[in-house]
Amino acid sequence: MSLLKLVQNNTKSAFFRCNEPKIFLISSRKLSIVPSIYDGEDPAPKFFSSGIQILLKRLTRPDFAKVFRKRNNSNISVLRTPKYKFVTDEELRMEKLKADKSADRLLQMPPVVKVHKPIDDVLSIDPALIGYDSAKYLFTDISFGVDNEHRTIIERDPDGTLRSCDHAERKRLNQIYFPMQGRKIREPLIFQDEEKFHSLLDRLQYEYVLDRACVQYEPDEPTYHKLTSITYQHIDLKSMYDLLRSTRHFGPLAFYLTWHKSVDNLMLELLQSADVREAVLLLALRQALHGDLSSGEESSALVSQILPTPVQLTKKEQLSEEDIQLDTKCIECVDKYINTNSAMKSQQGLALQGFREHYQQLVELSRGLKKAHGAA
Amino acid sequence: MPLPPASGTGRYFVKAAKSIRLIRQGCTNRPFYHISVTHRRRLNSQAVIEQLGSYDPMPNTNNEKLVALNLERIKFWLGQGAHVTNPVGELLGLAGFFPIHPRSYMTAWRNRRTERENQAKAEKSTESTTTEV
Repeated sequence: MSLLKLVQNNTKSAFFRCNEPKIFLISSRKLSIVPSIYDGEDPAPKFFSSGIQILLKRLTRPDFAKVFRKRNNSNISVLRTPKYKFVTDEELRMEKLKADKSADRLLQMPPVVKVHKPIDDVLSIDPALIGYDSAKYLFTDISFGVDNEHRTIIERDPDGTLRSCDHAERKRLNQIYFPMQGRKIREPLIFQDEEKFHSLLDRLQYEYVLDRACVQYEPDEPTYHKLTSITYQHIDLKSMYDLLRSTRHFGPLAFYLTWHKSVDNLMLELLQSADVREAVLLLALRQALHGDLSSGEESSALVSQILPTPVQLTKKEQLSEEDIQLDTKCIECVDKYINTNSAMKSQQGLALQGFREHYQQLVELSRGLKKAHGAA
Repeated sequence: MPLPPASGTGRYFVKAAKSIRLIRQGCTNRPFYHISVTHRRRLNSQAVIEQLGSYDPMPNTNNEKLVALNLERIKFWLGQGAHVTNPVGELLGLAGFFPIHPRSYMTAWRNRRTERENQAKAEKSTESTTTEV
């Protein structure tokens, strides 16, 4: 059996080697990503501040076609057919508002908070109870209307000590008495077994991994931080940001990269896909988190102009004069960043140059069109 | 006639004496208890007034015995003058809700004594075997 497996593995790697040498080179099993967790300064106040939330939501670039796509039918017995209606403008506006609201709910970001501290709280020590029982007693207060974080859960150890339970036990008992849908009492195999976890990452199942981790773990657990950090770094290495766009995990990803100052790869991807406005938003995010940019103030000033513009999902065909003004300002701002703060100066410079040339053509085209129509 | 719900029927006489007790709900060779409040003169097989918690006396894979207590409702029934049986009193004592039940201390020191005796016996037997050799 093991021989067979070995042969299979070898054929797999050989296949990689001959077909796609790039993928073979950056296989994460060889890479061994070192997870970095938020254990220093608490990121929560910054993450939850309204300015940063707005930036992260905008960077997510929500595309409703992806947000509202059919994912699975596990909870619905029969798939509902879409309804088509004739509506008035007013009704259409209401429907759009409704869609916005439900998209907001679907895109609510999992919180980024500091790793919790272990609970070490001895309530009483009674050595006369030694020998009462060889097992621990766990007591859970199941009074109505108390949430999981504030529930009293204590243990009586065989040596007679009465203490509050630690986070692992608390989570287990909460799950036993008040089960949460999708969460397992035992850790799922994909998180236990590193081989399986990395195989999922190699198959680019990032959203699945993050969704599953989100349900299985509390946001302040060290395991959650470890798993998400590995996933984010994997995405960053492979530049597969598009897989997380329009999902609720893009915000934490951007926040993670900015917090750990490894934002250059994302910046390069944004410039290559000609999203110079989002690049400025990313700069503003970094300015808000670290405040170490030379072009920081300009980018924060540009944010208020960028936010009212609609989200750009496809490449633009025509440009208005205001768009051109805004974009040139953005290009200047990004250019300044590349020259002073960037670690990938040459690549980003090239990408920006390419964008500039393409943009110049676009500007000429739209101005020419306007002239031809006699508007200018 | 359907069985009354294990969580209790909620029907009781105000002035009748109540008791908070363990009621066995498991099956053969697998004990599991509900902590329930019921009339003192009612049998354990009869409908209870309200279930207040549960107790699993068999240790799980992590060698833990799980007890759930609805302390809010327990306080209410204690306020109504409910009597607490010894096993429940022991559990509440271990939980730190009551003072430790005297029976818990008795069990503890009896267990310690038997362990000491067993140890002495084992030592004696090893000594005798070594002297024989």
